[in-house]
Amino acid sequence: MTRKQWLLSSVVAFTTLVSTAVVAGPIENYSPVTSARLENPEPGNWLMTRGNYKGWSYSSLDQINTSNVKSLVPVWSFSTGVDSGHEAPPIVNNGVMYISTPYSQVIALDAATGDLLWRYKPKLPEGFSALHNTNRGVALYGDKVYMAGLDGVLVGLDAKTGKVVWSAKVEDWKTGYYMTGAPLVVKGKILVGVAGGEFGVRGFVQAFDPDSGKSAWKTYTVPAPGEPGSDTWQKPDTWKTGGASTWMNGNYDAESNTVYWGTGNASPWFGDQRPGDNLYTASTVALDGDTGKMKGYFQYHQNESWDWDEMNAPMLVDFHKDGATTKGLLKPARNGYLYWLKRNPDGGISYINAQAYVPQNVFKSIDPKTGRPEIDMAHKPATGKAAQFCPGLWGGKDWPYEAYNPKTAMVYIPSNENHCNNLEGKVEERVPGQWWTGVAIPDLHFSVDTKASFYGELQAYDVDSGKRVWRNLYPGSMMWGSLLTTGGGLLFTGGTNDREFRAYDAKTGEQLWHFKTNSGIIAPPSTYEVNGVQYVAVQSGYGVDAAFQQGLMSELVGWQKDVPQGGVVWVFAVSK
Amino acid sequence: MPGDDWLHCHCYRRRTILGLALAPLLALPARAAEEGEAAKPPAPDDRFVFLTGPKKEQVVRAEDLALGGPQVQAYPIAPDGTVRNDNRLNLVILARFDPTALTDETRARAADGVVAYSAVCTHQGCPVNMWSKERNAFVCSCHASVFDPRNAAEVIDGPAPRPLAALGLKLKDGVVTVASTFSGRVGVTQN
Repeated sequence: MTRKQWLLSSVVAFTTLVSTAVVAGPIENYSPVTSARLENPEPGNWLMTRGNYKGWSYSSLDQINTSNVKSLVPVWSFSTGVDSGHEAPPIVNNGVMYISTPYSQVIALDAATGDLLWRYKPKLPEGFSALHNTNRGVALYGDKVYMAGLDGVLVGLDAKTGKVVWSAKVEDWKTGYYMTGAPLVVKGKILVGVAGGEFGVRGFVQAFDPDSGKSAWKTYTVPAPGEPGSDTWQKPDTWKTGGASTWMNGNYDAESNTVYWGTGNASPWFGDQRPGDNLYTASTVALDGDTGKMKGYFQYHQNESWDWDEMNAPMLVDFHKDGATTKGLLKPARNGYLYWLKRNPDGGISYINAQAYVPQNVFKSIDPKTGRPEIDMAHKPATGKAAQFCPGLWGGKDWPYEAYNPKTAMVYIPSNENHCNNLEGKVEERVPGQWWTGVAIPDLHFSVDTKASFYGELQAYDVDSGKRVWRNLYPGSMMWGSLLTTGGGLLFTGGTNDREFRAYDAKTGEQLWHFKTNSGIIAPPSTYEVNGVQYVAVQSGYGVDAAFQQGLMSELVGWQKDVPQGGVVWVFAVSK
Repeated sequence: MPGDDWLHCHCYRRRTILGLALAPLLALPARAAEEGEAAKPPAPDDRFVFLTGPKKEQVVRAEDLALGGPQVQAYPIAPDGTVRNDNRLNLVILARFDPTALTDETRARAADGVVAYSAVCTHQGCPVNMWSKERNAFVCSCHASVFDPRNAAEVIDGPAPRPLAALGLKLKDGVVTVASTFSGRVGVTQN
């Protein structure tokens, strides 16, 4: 755009006193997003974080495939001008791309040319801070774009202009709540979860009207006294600060009208301070899509004491065995086990099977009927009792997305091994809004096997047999990359500290292409089509826990301390 | 890390005058603070009240601070009794060291080894309320930046770009008291 064009077409719109939207050009012929489109998204679009309600991170597009991916070249890039960890996928609706960045900014771009259309930049309150400044994506519905803000405020933006249509306070950030997850649109309502598990919040999922921003329902993930599950909080008042945050977006089964949402660690971190199983921490909860009423749940580990959030919702995958098909849920859990669960018609969740996908020293066994693990108490930290556990608190995998490809019937898992933590709890006075886990950050005692031949890895499992088909090992890096898999037989991801963006053969794991970007990639890639051309897009911008862990690894094994930060959107296509 | 609900604690409400417990310590008769006084930055002759611990809400005396760390969190309290807790940027950390262990610059601001810094990390604004026994230093509670309390809170590790702003101190009958305002900008400079 020339300067003259800029002057002619741009305005600075002061949408409210606390935010601005820079509009560089009008969006014409915007395609409103409907529930029907979300249930059956067009292959050429990427309308939600995981690409579809089943959470597959899969696109059927195959113009870019194993034969031509070696000719993939960048066609445009865009600097976000923002530091810290970029963790949002490009969301694309008929040629318009929506990016979110740390500090809750939203940028609309022409998906084919990279031209800026508008930018929403909220002003965070004075004195504001958050443990993680990231954001994991916007949601689209109707003619609006929805952003769950760090400061606990959900905003509905005009998709064409970026102007704030409404804003709704979900929670008071001063109490320790904040939001980093992408909203999930279900049956015309905007669902959000909250972060704050390190600050003693009480988690919930809340739904908002898309036009007015009024609350429609709110379901807590820790029951109050008298509610089902409250007997699992045996010490009075511990439920009030019990955690079970809901910081990643859920998935949705339209057939049974059930939302599956993950919950985080219990709070504070040491289970002896809150006796009981502590429902619904470290669980998947099944919620009615209309009312939010809890239909069922599955808790991965009880009396959570390892900071093993199970915040990622399981993928909706059908399993095939002995000629029978099971409507299932598949989840590589942070606790290091891969779970096969059953979706019951009433929305309930039943356990089928689980197997470790990384070495784990906490579970002695898992009850084959209930899925309840037997815990080795030698590896369960408590107040005044130090204990080492592996994998460490970042788990077999943290939040980065796994992927499922229906063509290969494989699940792909970005994971990490050979790391542990050794924690000892203390009873701490709670100051709302301050870290309150029972252990200070200098005392986390993260360790690794310094002689290990690798730390990060990328694994592929056959979902029906549970057999590992292939894996790639990263000797010099942890793996923090979300995955994208495609109908072209490809798997795209970054996640390593060498700034690389890679494409693998989804069947064999062979690396077919790579490109060194500006920074480390921890954001999910997405793919879309405009005017008959398929593009693959990703934000490169290292930060947050990946950077923190990299700093620890520099001390432990001498890795380069700093991975350059600063966000850039990269868009690739096959060169002609 | 978001949050400072203590700002809304019944005992710390804006424009509140601390009552009987502190009345003997007040140099001036109680009077209503001007609007916004509780949000103003610490000023000379302010003292401090503990944010947490057994002496929560009580005025900080030098002898209350463990020699050699760790730090305590505190808010300034104006001479009229207004606790300046209406702005999270006013949160302060206090610690006490052997004066000979301090650099000249830090000793010049300190009062009998007591040092005061902004608790707001210059990286992302989180409270610097943790202590490393190994490093004998302040640690930020979000991203583990490490600051040297004996040397002007210089950054010795982690992502913070600048030291914490320091307050000049004096002792009045053993009570830790502000002598000079913050040495630099408090909190983050971007975003």
